[in-house]
Amino acid sequence: MGEVPAIRLDRLGKRFRVSQREPGLRAALRALFVRTHVEIDAVCELSFEVPQGQRVGLLGPNGAGKTTTLKMLAGLLHPTSGRAQVLGHEPARRSHELLRSIALVMGQKRQLSWDLPALDTYELNRVVFDVERSVHQLRLTELVELLELGEVVRKPVRTLSLGERMKCELVAALLHGPRVLFLDEPTIGMDVAMQLALRDFVREHNRRTGATVVLTSHYMEDVAALCERILVIDGGRLRFDGSIEALVRRTRPLRRVSVRADALPTDDELRALGQVVEREPPRMALDVAPERVPEAVARLLALPGSHDLAVADAPLEEVMRELFAMRAPEDEAGAEPSSRGSDA
Amino acid sequence: MSEPNASSETRAGGGLRRRRRRPRRAAVTGDGFEGRGALHRHLRLVAVQLRLRVLAALEYRTGFWSGGVLSLVWSIAGTVPLVVALEHRADIAGWTPWALCMLVGCHMIITGLFGALVQPSLYAAMDDIRTGALDYLLLRPVDALVSCLVADFEPWCLVEAVAGVGLLIVGMVGSGVHPSLPQLLTMALVLGCGVMALYALAVLALSLAFAALELQNLAYLMEAMLDFARWPISVFRGPLRALFTFVVPFAIMTSYPPMALLGRLDASAAVGALVTAVVLAGLARATWQRALRGYTSASS
Repeated sequence: MGEVPAIRLDRLGKRFRVSQREPGLRAALRALFVRTHVEIDAVCELSFEVPQGQRVGLLGPNGAGKTTTLKMLAGLLHPTSGRAQVLGHEPARRSHELLRSIALVMGQKRQLSWDLPALDTYELNRVVFDVERSVHQLRLTELVELLELGEVVRKPVRTLSLGERMKCELVAALLHGPRVLFLDEPTIGMDVAMQLALRDFVREHNRRTGATVVLTSHYMEDVAALCERILVIDGGRLRFDGSIEALVRRTRPLRRVSVRADALPTDDELRALGQVVEREPPRMALDVAPERVPEAVARLLALPGSHDLAVADAPLEEVMRELFAMRAPEDEAGAEPSSRGSDA
Repeated sequence: MSEPNASSETRAGGGLRRRRRRPRRAAVTGDGFEGRGALHRHLRLVAVQLRLRVLAALEYRTGFWSGGVLSLVWSIAGTVPLVVALEHRADIAGWTPWALCMLVGCHMIITGLFGALVQPSLYAAMDDIRTGALDYLLLRPVDALVSCLVADFEPWCLVEAVAGVGLLIVGMVGSGVHPSLPQLLTMALVLGCGVMALYALAVLALSLAFAALELQNLAYLMEAMLDFARWPISVFRGPLRALFTFVVPFAIMTSYPPMALLGRLDASAAVGALVTAVVLAGLARATWQRALRGYTSASS
């Protein structure tokens, strides 16, 4: 019998009933007596499987259903249709065995007590998760060292910077040794140095413990740097499942070739090779079909004073923008109205 | 970090080994106690959480000391209505001044516990539901209701409860009663039922907050209604008496305990108190579990 997958979703769906009203006092007064509700499908028939130990990124625009999916996986929300399993457990049942095996870190919420040092909350978690004191101390020392927290854990949380607080939140989430770690926008609002430090830490944690990591982030670099597999969700539906390279190849198969030269050829002269997308002398860039890249490189290297020639995939941000701009086939067919819900 | 998970339910259950082991449920349906040692772990959770709230209260010196002064003033103020009433009457609805002293003592015990434990947790949990901060409480492998009911703590309010115990003893001495062991046990039973009913009402209010997010007013309403409990149940007639005995059972909280000590509470009333408290607690638990299923976890 094979290993139980960390996560298995089978046509998972979540429908919210939300009230709606026009802006203004009159509408607010009317809403006191008569309220209009609409049903929103935040997640629709989502199916995928994640093996244990994998690092997976959930990508999607605001309101795509990423956070709703994570919350269902953590047992906070009950699905309205389909089935979810985490480590073989149904999350909505909130069995204590499952809750001991998972952790959820939310960049915009905190579990640390605001007025107390993080150490006090860690002690509470030790009791709640029933971790032996010596094991707890060992893990704490290791995490504090890895995240370079030092004395930070002894200061009241209200006095910490955002980055320090988020590192302390990560420690709080990891002290019980979860086998599945859900990270929801963990780097939001952080400076670049802190983002890099957190990424390094998560990668190292995954390597050392073999914990499965599921990450949502608006920062494409987070996902690109951390996740070997990405799942793109839009309008609550799965739009892509694979590696970042595969996503780029599928969405923007053209390679971007850029060069600096003393004299640049005209767009017409290059039309046979590809499409010029940028021209700021002495630099230019053109999108070229993969099979024509060698020919384009040879042509551009032959330009007078040619240097800094580079071949790259299109930037991930651009790829994502293009992907979200494309309508899903079922939407185009009108099989189901577009029903993008909020993440909450 | 690389060690195995410390799943030590067996360790935690060490102190309970002599108890008969209950069969584990095949399937856990929602939130609740699970496995051996769960009671021990929950008791430790309550102790650690209360300790944390005391530490948090100690962080703000001015707030801490002013809370103490207010509690003392509040304890003294709690006896004023009784003193004023007795200046004009020799007894109230058959209750002598010393018997009323015992009743006011019980009232102060209840309001002290309400102010120290119930009300702050109710406010904190309602706010957590509104803002979505309840997420982290729900991620703990413990009963979420227990987590909510110890979410906050106002230690100084216990001064009022302690003063209430003092007043109850003064009333007993003044009345010249020497309660037998069964009478003392009955008093403890009905007072326990009163506390259970108080918690049940709080849980019902908390459960409503899942559907109607802004319900802090209900906690204020509970506090205001507790004022009715400072008078003997015999003051009320007809529907009000039924209301305060079975629905919002103030009679069980404050009138029944001194009646038990005075030998004026018959067995059927004590059993009625137990049934009322158990029914209210069952209703509160069911409502809570239903409400939890509808939790929408505000914001990301």
